[in-house]
Amino acid sequence: MKVKDIMTRGVKSLSPHTTIREALNLLLEMHISGLPVINENNKIIGMFTEKDVLRNLLPSYIDKVGNFVYEENPKSIKKKIQDLLNLKVSQVMRKDVLIVDEDTALCEVARIMLTQRTRRLPVVDKDKNIVGIVAREDILKAYIKESSII
Amino acid sequence: MTNRIALKFIFLILLIIIAGFLGNAIGFNPTQIVATSIFFTSIFATLLFWNFRLAVAFLGISLLLITKTVDLENAIKFASLEVILFLVGMMVLVGLLKEVGFFAWLITLFLRVRNLTAKRFILMISVFSALLACCVDEVTSIMFMVAAILEICDYFEVEPIPFIIISVLATNIGSSGTVLGNPIGILIASKSGLTFEDFIVKAFPLMCLCLLFIIFIISIWYRKAIKRLDGKIKELQANEILIRLISVPPEKQLKRGLGIFALTLFFISLHHRLENIWGLETNTLLLSIPLIFAGGVMIWRRNRARRYIEQEVDWWTLLFFLILFAQAGTLKYTGATDVLAKKMIGVTGSNPNILIGAILWISAIGSSILDNVVLVAAFIPIVQSLQALHFNLQPLWWALLFGGCLGGNITLIGSTANIVALGILEKEKNIRITFFKWFWIGLSVGLITTAIVWLVLIALPFYR
Repeated sequence: MKVKDIMTRGVKSLSPHTTIREALNLLLEMHISGLPVINENNKIIGMFTEKDVLRNLLPSYIDKVGNFVYEENPKSIKKKIQDLLNLKVSQVMRKDVLIVDEDTALCEVARIMLTQRTRRLPVVDKDKNIVGIVAREDILKAYIKESSII
Repeated sequence: MTNRIALKFIFLILLIIIAGFLGNAIGFNPTQIVATSIFFTSIFATLLFWNFRLAVAFLGISLLLITKTVDLENAIKFASLEVILFLVGMMVLVGLLKEVGFFAWLITLFLRVRNLTAKRFILMISVFSALLACCVDEVTSIMFMVAAILEICDYFEVEPIPFIIISVLATNIGSSGTVLGNPIGILIASKSGLTFEDFIVKAFPLMCLCLLFIIFIISIWYRKAIKRLDGKIKELQANEILIRLISVPPEKQLKRGLGIFALTLFFISLHHRLENIWGLETNTLLLSIPLIFAGGVMIWRRNRARRYIEQEVDWWTLLFFLILFAQAGTLKYTGATDVLAKKMIGVTGSNPNILIGAILWISAIGSSILDNVVLVAAFIPIVQSLQALHFNLQPLWWALLFGGCLGGNITLIGSTANIVALGILEKEKNIRITFFKWFWIGLSVGLITTAIVWLVLIALPFYR
């Protein structure tokens, strides 16, 4: 089975010029955690996820400080949210995006997801235009269906 | 971008050719020219191609071996494995401290200070930064100081730049106070035979003197920022949110971690006496104590042992140091440093005061541009060669230590602590400090503290 057989087609995407406020609203409306960012030529240039937003809100040094617990919300968070919401998607998105070709085997997609620790992968055609997206859940569903467990 | 790299590459080759011609003019033989040219390539590579410095070092040491400039046995001997192992041991211990929340606990101490005033804040930043840099390395120290300063500045809504700069200046000064503060401390100790006690008795008070002076200088330099912070403290009053902001669980682990680190420091401070009692070679225990405690930690937390070694030890930097030391040792092996030492005496004369000044100022100015480890590694064999010319080396070692640490304050790229602090500031606050915003205060502090050290080293027989 190939990824094109199970991917979600007609993927909603974001423009790099969209504001974080609009992008976050879209994620919340759609109950998803991330969307690809596409340029005018329909080429994927980044991935915008909730994780990227959280990473920008909390101090970059939290993992280096070691073990501690936040007992209160830092005063700076409020201002950071206000500043962040007015930024553009292109300023926050992750630019090193992994993509897979639509003819990639499911096992290879699963391998990439596991080794690269990614939850979802955009699927592109031969001209590198985005044609769909595949998530971990889609792969598991396909495997279960194929082995007729359910 | 490619053009820029090509230009830098051409510049690097030009510098190496110039170094080769200079070597010839000085009177080096062909082997000495190869050794110095390859060593200078590694130095220039750290300046021009920071990300490729390890690759250049790998190629350089291979070339030294292939051209028979040095043999394998001596290359390994000069690599100073004892220094690398000491740093590995300390990094594992710092990893443990981080994991048990020691640094977060230090930040809470900072945030919980009641009746804060701007002057008290400046004093705390300076003293904490310097002392923390004395106990752990300067890079670890500055990261936590910056974290605490940013939280406090955020709360009081003041610009963090002056306070970050103060902390970095104090960190660089503090790193000269003990063997542990800076890799050049342990490097000098291992090559000179100076002990931890020597550092405590001689380097630490001199560091404190420099710190006192900079507290005075920065209180004047940043008087407006201090006044502004005082106004904000009065306006916003007690820092209740800051006091409760973070906690560090579980306390038992923190206490154990602190106990282990305190014991490590205790035994390091006694290493020379214990070495005398047990008839061990000088600095054997200084270099093994961190390994003994790191080994203990890896048994205690055996599930995390691999993580300490793989993630807490900065292998990239340590491997670079290892090869750099081997390359610097090759300068001594080929006799290039003996020639340089004689030339140096030819320029400075046999007056030790001028020689102390020359080493202090050259290392201070040099480490304002270069990594101080690179500079000190280059200087050590030259200083060692001066022994054959019947010079008292002790003041020269102190000159090298203080020059290497204090010079880091002069420019914003002068030390790793500066780069780490400014990197966090840029990432967190989107604030980029310009070269000259740093330079004037950095230069003032750098020049004044270096001059103080020069005076002390010349005037006090205690340092002879």
